[in-house]
Amino acid sequence: MKNYDLITPEGTKDLLFGECIIRRNIENTLREIFSSRGYCEIITPGLEFYDVFNLNSRYFPLVNLYKLTDSKGRLLVMRPDSTMPIARVVATRLRDAVLPLKLCYNQKIYLTEPALKGRSDEIAQAGIELIGSQLKIADLEVLSTAIDSLKAFGMEFSLEIGHIGVFKELVGKLEVSDHDKESIRKLIESKNYPALNDLLDSLGNSPVTAALKKLPALFGGIEVFDKAEELIPDENVKHILDELRELYCDMSELCGSDSNISVDLGLVNKTDYYTGVIIKGYLQGHGEEVLSGGRYDKLISEFGYDVPAVGFAVNVNAIQKVIEKNGLYPAMPKADAIVYAEPGCEIAAIKAANELREQGMTVENALFDDIETVREYAKEKKIAKVVVVDGASREEE
Amino acid sequence: MDKPIRIALTKGRLEKDTVGLLEKLGFDCTAVREKGRKLILPVPDANLEVVLAKANDVITYVEHGVCDMGVVGKDTIMEMKGKFFELVDLGFGRCKFALATKKGYDFYRGYGVKTIATKYPNVARSFFEKKGMDTEIIKIEGSVELAPLLELADGIVDIVETGTTLKENGLEVIEDVAPISARLIVNTVSLKMRQAEIEALIEKIQANL
Repeated sequence: MKNYDLITPEGTKDLLFGECIIRRNIENTLREIFSSRGYCEIITPGLEFYDVFNLNSRYFPLVNLYKLTDSKGRLLVMRPDSTMPIARVVATRLRDAVLPLKLCYNQKIYLTEPALKGRSDEIAQAGIELIGSQLKIADLEVLSTAIDSLKAFGMEFSLEIGHIGVFKELVGKLEVSDHDKESIRKLIESKNYPALNDLLDSLGNSPVTAALKKLPALFGGIEVFDKAEELIPDENVKHILDELRELYCDMSELCGSDSNISVDLGLVNKTDYYTGVIIKGYLQGHGEEVLSGGRYDKLISEFGYDVPAVGFAVNVNAIQKVIEKNGLYPAMPKADAIVYAEPGCEIAAIKAANELREQGMTVENALFDDIETVREYAKEKKIAKVVVVDGASREEE
Repeated sequence: MDKPIRIALTKGRLEKDTVGLLEKLGFDCTAVREKGRKLILPVPDANLEVVLAKANDVITYVEHGVCDMGVVGKDTIMEMKGKFFELVDLGFGRCKFALATKKGYDFYRGYGVKTIATKYPNVARSFFEKKGMDTEIIKIEGSVELAPLLELADGIVDIVETGTTLKENGLEVIEDVAPISARLIVNTVSLKMRQAEIEALIEKIQANL
């Protein structure tokens, strides 16, 4: 039998030293942004019952989850998402809490990615959920927090908004099977114009099919809204577009002149519990979105508590990758001093080291039994000061 | 000048057809034509950088965003799947996936589970899954036509262009699986971050198809 005792499973990796510093810096930066807006942290278990993710709308296909069973044979999964567990908590322990609830999290999710694709199965995410407000100001708060989260890393970014309502309105008017609706969604998502046109042509020519054909092309700046209104003459859609346009303009104003806001009416993702505005964030130099979120007013009601919500998650792994790719490694921390104890003076040395630490220094205890090795070690590790504790005297060099 | 847009081309026929198309647009592709052993080549007047890769790798590079765009056959897209925008059917590289058996063989007769040999196990699996039909799929790397002749398989799912190879080996197409042609794919972030440049290029391409 082959042993796997020296490697980690595919899609996972160990983080060492500088990598940990980057990881924690990202997490702390985001946590600071969230908590300065009054968001409180919540930690949910890494293991959940599969049922939490198997609601009516089946957001997470079983094949993509890490599955295991508990001692009673019940199906558990490694959490593939943080929003659903948080919805569960809101519908149970926080049911009587004052609204709106502002929750933030910083934890890992687990999904099986295809092997040998260079993707992680274990992804650190930090995000917020704003629960209990349907007001525009709630969307604005979440969007502006998303912008600040992307801005915080000092790289070129872009925030994109969309609205699932446009697609849902249009496709709702088609008399086709759910299977066909899903096919249409997939083709719009991948902006596969040739296949989308073929499929919609087979459903006949109507203003709705014409509009759906154009949907994936409706992305870019403010001009998209005029184009969309012209192409989709529908009262309900117009209402959604007006709402989104307002949001877009507000965000552009917040973002300043070098506006990095864009709109894509063809954002129609899978695992979609979204009911309203959808957001995606991109960083220059990373091939996939680093931030995603949106409004999900119906999700928590699937846990038995009807309350609207909006939020987003930042893919911490992705941000880390971009930072590392750009060579922005932080300086490794090093000790300011190392304290060496002559035989019999160990306690005095430990006390001496503690005194130095109280002065704010980073101090190592020397773990060798001769001073020469200590000096070599200090040189290797660039520790400026070697302290030798010898009986009553203390000698510094 | 901005960083060039990187486009990955599937080496071989699709590469030649794409270079032909770029030249039709008026771009100077001398460097690509006289590439030698180089794998990354500039098309300076289009601010493009051509990367030459195997079909599967074109998708991998585009998915990761290290190439902004790619030209790859629908056959590879169907087999590999992946997350990218599939914007244009370039029209060249036309052929089809088909199910073929030995001439005169009644494939759908009987209740025995049929064995299919193919280079494209995912395409074959999803074709028969849609029919609700259990099959045993065997992956073959070289000439798939051999498998039914050697009686390893009842049929094959493979790319068919003219059908000559099939005919010469006593096989025939009994069902089409899907049409194939070259597609222009684009990384999901690149399309957004470099929308103007990419859209301009695509418009030009579409006008010249």
